[in-house]
Amino acid sequence: MAAILLHAAEQGLVYGIAALGVFITYRILAFPDLTVDGSFVTGAAVASSLLVYSRFDPVSVMAIAFAAGALAGLITGVLNTRLGIKDLLAGVLTMIMLYSINLRIMGRPNISLLRVETLTRAVGRSVPWLGDASVLVFLAIVVIAVKLLLDLFFRTEIGLALRATGDNEAMIVAHGVNPKTMKMVGLAVSNGLVALSGGLVAHYSGFADVGMGLGTIVTGLAAVIIGGSLIRSRRIGWMTASVLIGSLIYRTAVMLALRYGYIVGFQASDLKLVTSLLVVVALVVPAIRGRLMRRVDACSS
Amino acid sequence: MNSKRLLIVGLVVFGLIGAAAIAAPIQIGICKIVEHPALDAVERGVIDALAAAGFVSDRDVVFLLASAQGDPNNAVPIAQSFRSQGVGMVVAISTPMALAAAEVFRDTQLPIVFSAVTDPVAAGLVESAVDPSRNGNVTGVSDLIDVAGDLALLKELSPAVRRIGIVYNPGEANSDQLTRLALEAAPGLGLTVVTAIADTTANVPMAAQSLIGRVDAFYVTTDNTVVSAIDAVIAAAEASGVPFLMADPTSLEFGPVLATGFDYYRHGLITGALIVEILSGLRPDALPVIYQSGAEIHVNLDAAGKIGLTVPSSILGRAAGLFVGGRAWSPAEGN
Repeated sequence: MAAILLHAAEQGLVYGIAALGVFITYRILAFPDLTVDGSFVTGAAVASSLLVYSRFDPVSVMAIAFAAGALAGLITGVLNTRLGIKDLLAGVLTMIMLYSINLRIMGRPNISLLRVETLTRAVGRSVPWLGDASVLVFLAIVVIAVKLLLDLFFRTEIGLALRATGDNEAMIVAHGVNPKTMKMVGLAVSNGLVALSGGLVAHYSGFADVGMGLGTIVTGLAAVIIGGSLIRSRRIGWMTASVLIGSLIYRTAVMLALRYGYIVGFQASDLKLVTSLLVVVALVVPAIRGRLMRRVDACSS
Repeated sequence: MNSKRLLIVGLVVFGLIGAAAIAAPIQIGICKIVEHPALDAVERGVIDALAAAGFVSDRDVVFLLASAQGDPNNAVPIAQSFRSQGVGMVVAISTPMALAAAEVFRDTQLPIVFSAVTDPVAAGLVESAVDPSRNGNVTGVSDLIDVAGDLALLKELSPAVRRIGIVYNPGEANSDQLTRLALEAAPGLGLTVVTAIADTTANVPMAAQSLIGRVDAFYVTTDNTVVSAIDAVIAAAEASGVPFLMADPTSLEFGPVLATGFDYYRHGLITGALIVEILSGLRPDALPVIYQSGAEIHVNLDAAGKIGLTVPSSILGRAAGLFVGGRAWSPAEGN
């Protein structure tokens, strides 16, 4: 059980960065951005091919993965704000373009990282005294750092303008801020984070696959919505924390479905059903508890 | 008092028997990337091969079955779940599952047996196709098909064939590799290969139609995306009046003129035989990767008739199966 929860936590953290990216577009900008299904793979592709073919070091490939994702976000931004293509379609178009571009970056649909020094492997080797927890501790530090940087960013002038863009575009125009620029910034940061997550997932999994981006938007939204329903706050620090908690819950649900699903008679083919049901439970239990508490309060008063 | 003591003794004895029964069978985790007729057949083949070798299910072996349901992101959690369940061996069907299992169990000696992987060396699963001593705890069975042989067969079927159209999904590792092999082999046979790309099942019809009038024959390898929408390719081949060769014998009745390759149930049986060797004490680093041989040729004479093509006797003589008059015939059975 402990090992399962450890792995679920690792995945919750590593995919949590992508969820933070989805959070920026979906919650802050109110921009339904499907670019992420492509930019997640772009990050994985860059972080793998540079490591395997160009012998870059595992840290700088992550920085380049972030930059590549940001560039992908900018493409969607240009399509939407400069060429006037609707937000949803702009994201879809970039996502489809990225499929071909990702194949070009990788040179093949699947890159194995089994025989190279990946970031997670390097970490495991440099802090042997942490044992099995080394990857978890490392990911926790990375993810918390990303979260705090993001919180700081949202308190800067640009960050505040970004938040205002999603809330009330007319108001920020009145303040002399160009909402188009803000959308570009938001899409770049969002897809940069998604690509960073993709790069980390590739190193963590030991391979990059051109199909691994499928559903990034869905799992990202799941994390954002689960977290948002558990922690209702308008404070940015709590909001980003809730996204990470949502991601942890979602990945724990997948892990528990895989590990213990058979006990209640589930078959291999039921995986996605079980995962979704566990998420439903995670969403409903706090709501029911809240209702019960209120009823108890009403009775006692 | 006495009855209580008896109960405790009974529980202890029962617990010991239970523990012994639980400890005895070896757990084998079998995982595949997606529910798919070929991959399901491999899974069945593995299980049947072990049963045939005398390993009774739930007494000698316990199978833990898992499917990533088409999402490569599920591959690592599945391998981790196998690890926490203490499996004695992992059977990984398809490239991403094998890579994930190799990563999760890399610090262990646990045998990883892959299956339905086209090119395990190019995929980075093993160092060497012939020398297992450098391959660590990984071995398995490759489903590499004879692409050059298939192209030559199309030429033998109709000497007028010069341009061969391949519909494929460049996002599938296996299919991508096979298409590369076709592009490499074609010039030596005096052929040119024209490719059309379908990244999803929904895009197969358009890709197939784009080849009409531009090719003298259609060829589809073991591409899961295209095979799922094979009717579209068959329609395009019929519309252009050219033959169609498919590297999947189980699809013969759907209408390709020729179907080559091996069936995936047998692929699973071969994988199962490899597993039995490991269970009987051999280490994976003593067992070289197996490349399944013995591709069969199947001919659909109804489909040939539709495009006015006469199949040469040289091919019919080698055919392991025929489809004619709306039903399948097997010359080997003599009916």
